[in-house]
Amino acid sequence: MDLSKYAALFLAESREHLSACNGSLLEWERDPAALEPVGRLFRAIHTIKGMAATMGYAAVAQLAHATENLLDALRHGRVLTTPDVFQLLFRAVDRLGGMVEVAGDGKDEDPDTGLIAELDAAAVGPQGPAPQTTSAGPAAEEPRSRRASDAPRIRPVQVVIRPNAIMRGARAALVLRRAEALGVVSGLRPPLSQLERDEFDGRFFFRLQTKLPDAEVGAALAVVGDVDAVQFEESAAESNGTSRGRQIRVDLRRLDALMKQVGELVVAKNRLVALSSEASDPTLTELSERISRLVSAMQGEVIAARMTPVGEVFERFPRLVRDLSRDLKKRIRFDMEGEEIELDRSILDEIGDPLLHLIRNAADHGVEPPEQRAAAGKPAEGRILLSATRERNTVALRVTDDGRGIDRASILAKARREGAAPDKLDALTDDLLVRVLARPGFSTAQTVSGVSGRGVGVDVAMTRVRALGGTLEVRSELGRGSTFLIRVPLTLAIVRALLTEAGGERYAVPLAYVAETVEFDQRAVTAVRDREALVVREQVIPTVHLRELVAARSQPPAAKRPTVILEVGERRTALVVDALVGQQDIVVEPFDAPRGLPPFVGGATILADGAPALILDAAALL
Amino acid sequence: MNQTVLVCDDAIFMRTMISDILSQAGFEIVGEAESGVQAVEKYKVLKPDLVTMDIVMPDMGGIEAVREICKGDPEARILMCSAMGQQALVVEAIQAGAKDFVVKPFQPSRVLEAVQRVLA
Repeated sequence: MDLSKYAALFLAESREHLSACNGSLLEWERDPAALEPVGRLFRAIHTIKGMAATMGYAAVAQLAHATENLLDALRHGRVLTTPDVFQLLFRAVDRLGGMVEVAGDGKDEDPDTGLIAELDAAAVGPQGPAPQTTSAGPAAEEPRSRRASDAPRIRPVQVVIRPNAIMRGARAALVLRRAEALGVVSGLRPPLSQLERDEFDGRFFFRLQTKLPDAEVGAALAVVGDVDAVQFEESAAESNGTSRGRQIRVDLRRLDALMKQVGELVVAKNRLVALSSEASDPTLTELSERISRLVSAMQGEVIAARMTPVGEVFERFPRLVRDLSRDLKKRIRFDMEGEEIELDRSILDEIGDPLLHLIRNAADHGVEPPEQRAAAGKPAEGRILLSATRERNTVALRVTDDGRGIDRASILAKARREGAAPDKLDALTDDLLVRVLARPGFSTAQTVSGVSGRGVGVDVAMTRVRALGGTLEVRSELGRGSTFLIRVPLTLAIVRALLTEAGGERYAVPLAYVAETVEFDQRAVTAVRDREALVVREQVIPTVHLRELVAARSQPPAAKRPTVILEVGERRTALVVDALVGQQDIVVEPFDAPRGLPPFVGGATILADGAPALILDAAALL
Repeated sequence: MNQTVLVCDDAIFMRTMISDILSQAGFEIVGEAESGVQAVEKYKVLKPDLVTMDIVMPDMGGIEAVREICKGDPEARILMCSAMGQQALVVEAIQAGAKDFVVKPFQPSRVLEAVQRVLA
């Protein structure tokens, strides 16, 4: 049998299993008494062993076998879970990951006898082999259910807070505090940060490892007050999971090709609509409208097919933070929120690296060592939160830490020495801070001692994010922590744009960044720090004249010119143009920027009438 | 013997109101504090059965005071007094060791319910 055609499938499925293994290991490490993670791990490794053996990848199969043996010893209690054992398992999973990739290329390595020997030794444990049962093979067994009667059990607990209670989230925190006095709490859902903001329906769920009977636990938790019910079962959401349709795997290149063709179809459709409106032939108009609707629907479907939950990129970060905190000898709790938020696959693929840099920064430079935190009156365990939220046509990704924050004074002093900041500037705003940090090599050159070396990687993150048409912002408070915010468009290929005109040329502004359009009224003009600004409903917004940017030579039109208010995050700019042309779906063409192209140009497109137009980069205009 | 209370709030108005509610219910107000630092000092001296603690106070806020008091006496019974919209701070106070909370504007019945739970 020719196995080569199964190689890709083996690779894809093994990757999935190994990624899940990392998750299970992390969960297990947090709560070594939990039984589900070890069961899942065992099954995943077992599956990989079977697939590798079938494919003839002996190295993978042997390592998987040794790992499986150790897991079996652990879940039957023959060997105790220790930090060393977890570390060994992480290494085994990593090594398997490497081997699977090599095997996927059609090569088989020599077995890693060193690691296999370590796994075997660990599986025997320090006391020598325990008498083994001879019943069934390890795969057929389930984790042991026989336990001493007074041994702690892990109970799923669901608590419902009274609907009209005040500060339900704080009430939930009290329940959790109580629960922590009764045993070990894990797997809280929704996470505390969500409870804190009252973003839940009064129901929350956790696991409690305790020796106490349910009735006693229930009574103890209900004492907290405003508790409607305490139930000891998985919530409906937990057991049912999300609705799952039938799925197939599709090569990403197919989707890319499909997207490109739909893009061209959109351009052709736009052209058809423009022509038919000139021809004023009712049959042609009807047909072009029908085609227009069909193409729009098709475009929506293709974009939807490319949408992928950000969780796919997020899932490698818990492991990263765990390893970092180990290396840095810090205690860091890492939480993720909004994993279900979706982004275009091509953006998602590019966003992992910037996030990696920001998370590494947060762990390395943001969160302080435990003793420093204690001295500052903070909990010894630092927190990093990675969250995704949908905001209009963009997705906001935030990396927040509760660490030392950025020392603006030192950064400013250093920026002055490097000539990156004018001398008269006496404080760095958040805006200026991110620009200084993003200067290539800013803090790597020479880090002033005691100053957090932030900036390493910020320039990398900034460059990548800008290339996606996104923005990077920072908020930081000395002693309290920092938040880095990446904002990216939902999809790259086709965007809805506002067409504007200046000096006889048309320019497209992505609608995602358009807050509103107003009229440029000379009476509403004022000045802020020597810059012209426009007062719009009592808000002062700095102006940019597109005519000046593009050095238009033609005569300026009448005094009352339309003005587009651009908004990126909380920053706004009033873009004064000659005329507004209308809205259109534009296909962003791959674009090799010629040398010397001004930074406010983000790309190019072909308009409905076949003429090319430049796309303005809103962030660069602010 | 009546149970003793230390009332901590930087506003005289709030201290008076809480004192009235609690003394009418038979508690003995043994002390008042108008800052976090005072709260910590007076707790050590007075050893009250109950502390009511405002979150925002000058010279060490309420949360920090809770942390300090619980460091010396993990069994301290502290009731947080919070304004609307301070939920995150209340959660922080609970994690620092506060046993319950009430939200301004106070309803005497809610305050007494919370006090009963804290002292239970």
